[in-house]
Amino acid sequence: MFTPRRPRRDRDNQTPRKKRTCRFCDAKEVYIDYKDEKRLQRFVTEQGKIIPKRITGTCAKHQRQLVSAIKRARHLALLPFVSDAIR
Amino acid sequence: MGTTSRTYETTFIVNASLDDAQVEAVIGRVQETITKNGGTIKAVNKWGRKRLAYAINKRTNGFYVNVEFDAPGTVLAHLERAYQLDEMVLRNLTIILDKKAIAARAAALAAAPPVEEKPAAPPAAGREPLFTEEPKNA
Repeated sequence: MFTPRRPRRDRDNQTPRKKRTCRFCDAKEVYIDYKDEKRLQRFVTEQGKIIPKRITGTCAKHQRQLVSAIKRARHLALLPFVSDAIR
Repeated sequence: MGTTSRTYETTFIVNASLDDAQVEAVIGRVQETITKNGGTIKAVNKWGRKRLAYAINKRTNGFYVNVEFDAPGTVLAHLERAYQLDEMVLRNLTIILDKKAIAARAAALAAAPPVEEKPAAPPAAGREPLFTEEPKNA
């Protein structure tokens, strides 16, 4: 059976997507510190989940470091495991 | 020769309901555990009382202390044991500072020399800090 394809969206009409770059590479960071909770906070959602690198644009190498830093920060109660405080 | 020394960093949370002298006593005990077992303390950073992101043992505040030290690996078992036995320590985390971390730290220091940490308030004169084993739950 033939199912008509959804018409393809015209890419040309859209604004070209900005290339995301790894913030840590840009800043030439070699080490992501778990103590820097303000910094880490930007890489977790409001619920406290780690944001995937496909969203933030962090490179694989730094994402790995970031994840371990966030997990360490969570252990020390610098970051929440879950936060659903907003109600 | 034989024992190789590594740089470690340990952060622990002390029960914040203790008064300053008692907190100092806990920090002193941790430092003693490290030095007694062949380690050398490089830096002690007291971050002070902070709100915890979630409650630990029904407490919402903690006194954070961060200690950098050089030590052979055997110290860690003693340190871990000391933490477990100390009821005033809510949490602890000990990590190896690798080359990258040390380099980053040195770079950060070079970029912005840290403000000289002002010494903690001198303990009340004429009174020995009494350490009580049981926490006073107000």
